[in-house]
Amino acid sequence: MGNGYAGKVLLVNLTNNSWTDLALDEQDLKKYIGGSCLAAKLYLDRYNLDADPLSEENPLMIMTGPMVGSGFPGTSRFSICAKAPQTGIWGESACGGTFGPELKRAGYDGIVFEGKSSSPVYLSLIDSQIQLLDASHLWGKDIYEATDLLKSDNKSLKVLTIGPAGENLVKISAIGNDKGHFSGRTGLGAVMGSKRLKAIVVKGSGKPAKADEERYKAAFKTAVAEVKDSALAEGLHMMGSDANMDLGMVTGDVPIKNWTVGQDFDLSYNLSGPTLSEKYLTKAHACSNCPVACKRVVKVDDGPFKTEEGPGPEYETCGTFGTMMMNPDLGAVIKANELCNKYGMDTISCGSAIALAMELFEKGTLSKDDVDGLDLSWGNMEAVMSLIKKMAYREGFGDILADGAVKAAQKIGGDSIDCVVHVKGLEAPMHDPRGFHGMGLAYMMSNRGACHLQHAVLATEQGMASWPQLFDMKDDYEGTTSVDKAALVYNSENYGILGNSLAICHYLVDILKPETILEAFNAITGFNLSTGELLESGMRDWTLKRGFNNLLGITAKDDKLPKRLLIALEEGGAAGSVPDVKLLLSEYYAIRGLDEKGFPRPEKLTELGLIELKNRLYH
Amino acid sequence: MGVPALTQEWMDAYKAAILADPEYKQIAKDWEGSVSLVVLADPDKGIPETVYLFQDYWHGDVGDFVVCDKEKAENAKFVMTGDYSRWKQIARKELDATKALLQGKLKMKGDLPYVVRNIKTVNKVIDILGTFDTIWPDEV
Repeated sequence: MGNGYAGKVLLVNLTNNSWTDLALDEQDLKKYIGGSCLAAKLYLDRYNLDADPLSEENPLMIMTGPMVGSGFPGTSRFSICAKAPQTGIWGESACGGTFGPELKRAGYDGIVFEGKSSSPVYLSLIDSQIQLLDASHLWGKDIYEATDLLKSDNKSLKVLTIGPAGENLVKISAIGNDKGHFSGRTGLGAVMGSKRLKAIVVKGSGKPAKADEERYKAAFKTAVAEVKDSALAEGLHMMGSDANMDLGMVTGDVPIKNWTVGQDFDLSYNLSGPTLSEKYLTKAHACSNCPVACKRVVKVDDGPFKTEEGPGPEYETCGTFGTMMMNPDLGAVIKANELCNKYGMDTISCGSAIALAMELFEKGTLSKDDVDGLDLSWGNMEAVMSLIKKMAYREGFGDILADGAVKAAQKIGGDSIDCVVHVKGLEAPMHDPRGFHGMGLAYMMSNRGACHLQHAVLATEQGMASWPQLFDMKDDYEGTTSVDKAALVYNSENYGILGNSLAICHYLVDILKPETILEAFNAITGFNLSTGELLESGMRDWTLKRGFNNLLGITAKDDKLPKRLLIALEEGGAAGSVPDVKLLLSEYYAIRGLDEKGFPRPEKLTELGLIELKNRLYH
Repeated sequence: MGVPALTQEWMDAYKAAILADPEYKQIAKDWEGSVSLVVLADPDKGIPETVYLFQDYWHGDVGDFVVCDKEKAENAKFVMTGDYSRWKQIARKELDATKALLQGKLKMKGDLPYVVRNIKTVNKVIDILGTFDTIWPDEV
């Protein structure tokens, strides 16, 4: 095993029921680091970009990074990647939990699934013992049931599995790790389902090597001290990610009533992190080796939305199933979260699709007959619970919503697409660009569609982090201006995107000093990259995925915000403000080295060492 | 004509500004408890010793607003500590106090969820800080 890397990926061919090791090239590891960046490189090298996302030609790639398995704070992550069923472009979704470190301990940097099984199977990887096993007894089970069954003989196994939504090729379906961590965005659970791959179980006993153990220990000690000293870490530990609800309601960050209302303090009070802790929290929970422990474990004891004890909703879910639906009942949000977890659906896409349906129901575009007799009035959470199940099983009106808000609007027709907030087919997360214009640019330029986790703009623009040692930036950015934001977004992309190649939690990227992360990375890998080289790696990552999407037809015309985000709100922190899209894009294109078509310029590709990509884009 | 920053006169002016604010009483109706601002010594900027400022808030009313000793300051429900330059940036609205806290430029001792829950009150009190003329020691 090399320093920080296993040096190989397990290639599993589900069509032939066979597997082999793919050795990774050290020069590639230095250039592409790992995680989703290395996955994009592998995809471009080996697979057919024109493949239908649900065909056997589309590989499903599960990739860790060099720091995963080291025990360094926040490095429990892994990225699942493929051409995305929901958007048809590059798809990736990162996840914390337990699976990533265990995969490293089992001796692999990643697993790539090719082909398609003729019947349901699951992969068992227990150190060097690899088996593809019959999963017919698991097919149809929800994520919690399947996980429990797979762990019934050995609780120390780490499980990754899909639920009914993935099996039913729902294009917003998620993949769950050990019932508490989810890879939700872009519908990659459907890729797993299309391959009849129900689950992966992993157990490893190895220990990934480090280049310099003593140097690593010093960096680790510094990191733990930085976590202890951080108000952001303290807030996340005490309130979870939903700490943002109260703060965001003041600043204009929180979308309300399907992005049409600017402020509602009663909603934020009822749906906030402190309320979650006071009323429903049973304990905090951490991903492997994380001292922050931002995860919530919650339980609704009684009432119509009673739940078992389980993972609590993140801020995003409190937005989509709370403020977006005008639902003040946090217990109902917890129940909706539990259902999405069990069926295996992304809570952002699922909640956004239902909020769209509620708006169209209010407008009369959808009648009760259209929606299987449900009363989709704002805040009717009984109907929402029914709809979640219908979506997972593609029943009735649920089938219309099952592929996300954009495809639902296209099926419903009329002007319903104007009610969808998305970029490149992916519904936006719960951060309103009218309150923070830089986020608008980041949504437009994110390579998986509207996203807050392909960069660090949320942290830098909203002031959670400040890195003047990395690039020129102010202490405090006004949210509702587009001036000076292009450079901030560009720099925050180049650094923040490393979270997905190093495979380190974005919260830890925000909390830890960049020099501490770099020191740990160098101690583990021995690469001894400079700060500049690390940022260049981030630039390469972004550009590689952009090129991937350009090859699939993405151009400048796709870098846009939806109509709704260009209509100013009347109240709240974002009142009267919309991003200046023309200014943001023109400045950004120049800095990023994109031409007028939205392609990386040849000289930029050469500068970043992406020669093969250049040849494909400019053949 | 302003009042010298971080003095009792300045605290009196701050308290008067809060009481005169038409919105404060309503926004702060749920707030309970005292807040200390600790301004760390910076002799080069005219702050030879650390300054301790105690402020008592209770359901929209305002009690003691005094320059105090270390012991009294540290017994407040919330203790906010930072460099002189940071406090000055905050008073001048060049740096948002919540951002300063998250970036580690201010340190807080106290119940963080309570502050998050009452962020409107916190923002209001800080907004008022910038509404009266202040003479800063490093600008004299």
